Amino acid sequence: MNQQDRVKRRALIAVQVVIYGYLLTMFLLQLRLYAQRDW
Amino acid sequence: MTTTDDTAAAADLGGIGLDDHVERSRQAQRAADRWLIGGTILMGTAILGIVGLPLFLRGLVLQRRAQLAGLSVRPIIVTLIGYMVMLDGALNTFGWAIDLLASHTYASRIFLPTWGNMFDAGYFWHYNNLPVGGAGAPGEKAWEVLGIFVVFPMRIAACIGFLQMKRWGHQWMIVTCWTGMLMWVGYVANMTVYADLRFTSVVFPVVGWWVYDIFYITPFVALPYLHTVNREIFSD
Repeated sequence: MNQQDRVKRRALIAVQVVIYGYLLTMFLLQLRLYAQRDW
Repeated sequence: MTTTDDTAAAADLGGIGLDDHVERSRQAQRAADRWLIGGTILMGTAILGIVGLPLFLRGLVLQRRAQLAGLSVRPIIVTLIGYMVMLDGALNTFGWAIDLLASHTYASRIFLPTWGNMFDAGYFWHYNNLPVGGAGAPGEKAWEVLGIFVVFPMRIAACIGFLQMKRWGHQWMIVTCWTGMLMWVGYVANMTVYADLRFTSVVFPVVGWWVYDIFYITPFVALPYLHTVNREIFSD
């Protein structure tokens, strides 16, 4: 893997962290709603 | 699928000529794919999923054995990504297509409201009561149209090319992993905004849905690999 690919892979992993962070936030938000509501 | 290094190594194998090596590799790949495709098709129907899994695992074992035997077969990582994404496309196409186009069939009326009762009331609340039929959750039909007619057919085509180690398959696999990410970002937002409708009175609210769906959400985890893998292993 060359330098350019290494930088690209790092950037893509950062994007993944952001997206998984978003998904985790949505999950926690739903859990909070679950705790508050009578589902 | 056969690289210069592989062919050189094969040519050096005592007593096995290059043609023999190529032929044996082709046969081994075909034998593994037969099990892998059979298993994936069965798992893709959802209802017969439990039957498909052992067939798929058998294919994976054959693939690994061929690789260990030094044959020039598809790398395991390419096999796993290709079939996982194909399974995701097939499963979602099946479920959403019957909801959108055949919501009054027995399969739909049994399978989908049961899913709704267990995990997502979007498939239970007013099921088949609205003009279009099927799931009545706000926005659900729009996701179904996008998935069935654009994203999933593209995804399954990409998988076929990718598993054949074609350059276009690799490129389209990248495209489809990005579209998968877009779909899930939107769909999860929908699930959260309409959480009151989708999780009220279901058997396993929130956690059940996530445990079931996380496997479909994950294919875009392959993106760093796909963007940086040596493109030369995929042929024109």
